[in-house]
Amino acid sequence: MAKKAKSRTVAVRLISMALTGYYKTLVRPRAHHPLSMIKYDPIVKRNVLFLEQKRKGGNK
Amino acid sequence: MAEQFISLARQLPTRLQTFFAKYPPGTCNTARTNPFKPTVHTVTGKWHNPVFSYRRQAELCKMARKWGVEELLPHSKKRSDIREEQRLKRVAKGIHVKGTKEERTLKARLQMRMKAMENMPKLIEEWKRRGHGKGWKEWPSGKARF
Repeated sequence: MAKKAKSRTVAVRLISMALTGYYKTLVRPRAHHPLSMIKYDPIVKRNVLFLEQKRKGGNK
Repeated sequence: MAEQFISLARQLPTRLQTFFAKYPPGTCNTARTNPFKPTVHTVTGKWHNPVFSYRRQAELCKMARKWGVEELLPHSKKRSDIREEQRLKRVAKGIHVKGTKEERTLKARLQMRMKAMENMPKLIEEWKRRGHGKGWKEWPSGKARF
């Protein structure tokens, strides 16, 4: 049986680099490079860097 | 000297001032006069609730602690020095309070967070220098550290 086709987009988790455990979930195209952005972390009440969490099978 | 104490006492919040006016320090430490303790009626033998509930005792103690006059309050199990005494007693007896995981790891987590925040401007600068994440290699695993 043929494998199920992978979706064009993936849901990814962007983790606060302030290590508060706060994260944002975004959707990006599968072929796109991993996301990273500066966003507000309400726990430390500052704008901090958010990096995408490693996915199963690596960041592709 | 006395005037100095009086002027200092006048700076206290009204709630503490009225409390100390009604129950001056050192005058109500017996079980009968302490407004923080339940009393037994001498005639009927019935127990009566304390004048101040535990909630109000805690509020007064907290306020007094903030103003540095907590020792002047009557004996109450909400006072921080008495709480510490009780904790030491438990420790001496070998009673260990495990607490929740959140409580046990709180200090370490806050320290980690503080360190991360100190390093944040440097990290952001590095991230900007490397093309806003395009050349980034060290992606977080997202696993909880505690």
